[in-house]
Amino acid sequence: MCPADGSSAAKDPGADTALIRMQDIRKHYEMGSQVVRALDGINVEIGRGDWVSFIGSSGSGKSTFLNILGCLDRPSGGEYFLNGVYVEELGPNQLAEIRNREIGFIFQSFNLLPRATALGNVMQPLVYRRISYRQRREMAMEALRRVRLDDRVDHLPNQLSGGQRQRVAIARALVTEPSILLADEPTGNLDSRTSAEIMQLFDQLHREGQTLILVTHEEDVAGLGDRVIELLDGKIIRDRRAGEPLH
Amino acid sequence: MFYVILESTRSALISIFAHGLRSFLTTLGIVIGVASVIAVVSLTQGMSAFIGESFSSLGSNSLTIQSYTPIAEQMRGVRARLTPEDLELIERRGEGIASITPILYANRTSQVRYAAQTTFSQIMGTTYAYRDVSQSYVELGRFIAESDNLTRRRVTVIGEKVREDLGLPENPVNEYVELGGEWFKVIGLLETKGDIMGFSQDDIVLVPYSTMQSLQGNQARTDIQIQLSLSEEADVENVSRQLTALLRNAHDLSPNEDDDFVINTAEQLMETFDTVINMVTLVIGGIVSISLLVGGIGIMNIMLVSVTERTREIGICKAIGAKRHHILAQFLIEAMLLSLLGGLVGLALGFGLGSAISSSIESFPPANIPMWAIALALGFSGFVGVLFGILPAAKAANLDPIDALRYE
Repeated sequence: MCPADGSSAAKDPGADTALIRMQDIRKHYEMGSQVVRALDGINVEIGRGDWVSFIGSSGSGKSTFLNILGCLDRPSGGEYFLNGVYVEELGPNQLAEIRNREIGFIFQSFNLLPRATALGNVMQPLVYRRISYRQRREMAMEALRRVRLDDRVDHLPNQLSGGQRQRVAIARALVTEPSILLADEPTGNLDSRTSAEIMQLFDQLHREGQTLILVTHEEDVAGLGDRVIELLDGKIIRDRRAGEPLH
Repeated sequence: MFYVILESTRSALISIFAHGLRSFLTTLGIVIGVASVIAVVSLTQGMSAFIGESFSSLGSNSLTIQSYTPIAEQMRGVRARLTPEDLELIERRGEGIASITPILYANRTSQVRYAAQTTFSQIMGTTYAYRDVSQSYVELGRFIAESDNLTRRRVTVIGEKVREDLGLPENPVNEYVELGGEWFKVIGLLETKGDIMGFSQDDIVLVPYSTMQSLQGNQARTDIQIQLSLSEEADVENVSRQLTALLRNAHDLSPNEDDDFVINTAEQLMETFDTVINMVTLVIGGIVSISLLVGGIGIMNIMLVSVTERTREIGICKAIGAKRHHILAQFLIEAMLLSLLGGLVGLALGFGLGSAISSSIESFPPANIPMWAIALALGFSGFVGVLFGILPAAKAANLDPIDALRYE
């Protein structure tokens, strides 16, 4: 499993161990005659096993950054290496493969397939890997056990509570053993008690060696990680260790 | 590739059955289209098979030669004839002929009378050879003999329908009937042959050829028909070519003149019927397949709606690693399966409909679906599904994952 190779690689010093390396990433949109600079020169390196939170108010470029980080979108300029792969040169199908192999998405609104059971949802990413049904089922059951939801496998998403849905989503992200778990406001739609449960789960995964990237606007959620990066107007304004005073 | 198809089929089936009613209504156009095609084809093919059987009773290797005058010639008072000399010529020089007989139709009246009953029938003067040529055998009594012909005896062999119409006893042999003012003794009753396309083959009165000639006053220029059957090894095409040459020569026709006679084979007649039926099948089939087209458009419409409805799902699938062809295959296979299921339901329905119609109308032959019609119906409905699935599937596959994920 990933904890083993993740933690061993993290201890290896040197630039090449960086899982993510971004240099001068820019994303510009043209809105009529005006050019919107959603991202304006982002430089960041993230190592294996790190837990990094990106924080910023709405309009800070968080979502755009997340899309580029998650290989859903390509930047207008700059260089992005993900696990040693130069992402900008890849076509839509290769990006899909990268997303499938390297990234586990966790969304604010869970984004589960409504007509598939919890098990079906967790099995879905494996469909794109040509894995047989029986093996998919086993792997999905294992992932659901990790999020302690193995008693709800045959429920449809609308039969599950918000916290349970998010745990299905986390299981779906984990089942492919991705390099990065990429969570976008994972507790945004949850009450505080369930939020705490989910964050506890993240903490457990982090301790198992999983690389975690969170995008949020909540300071207390961001503060749980190792490192907090603040975005404003498409630029990084602060990069600090968690627990350091803000000002 | 196989894996992708298998997985897409799995998820397509889930999706189709998740919206049971909608799927059914979507595919209703295909169901109705295929059902009508199959019903029409099963009825016409049943008829065709029935006609084929009927014609084999005519004698499959027999030929009929009759005179033929184009209408323009008839207007000028010209009449082509086949004469007893032609018959003699063919008897003497024709090759591959098993038996040959002249037929002389009654030209003045075809009225038949028995006691107070009168009916109209087809009265033919012919010889003993007619029995073999047309495969008409007697059930009771005997057939016309050569001696009847030589002595011009006034005897007759009648068909079952004539016996019925005249109210003759079950065994009409030795009764007397009146033909053209003369009394004839019934010597035989023919076996029943049944109808072809509503024409009774049992409405027939046979008399000796020379008796008929004398009834018509021994005209010098009679116009006869010649029927002949071929020997086993003879080829219909060859014989009719040879006969054509013989007759053209006898009639002094120059190479640029048309034949003044026609040679018909039973097979030709059957082919003509078959051609007509196939034409009808084709035309009705063509009209009905328009409904398949309409059904296909219905499927496309619903699939487009479905793509819009499932935009977010598509976005999720793309985010977790679905490539273009995964999405494309899923929607394409869903459209094809929808259409194919409709085709299967339509097939069953159409066969039921055809059987119901053929059994509810008396004297209609049983419905018959050839394999090619089944293959065609299913193949075509599958094709319609793929054809009209391409647009929605391409639309789904080309969605941008970010936009699709953001879609509400």
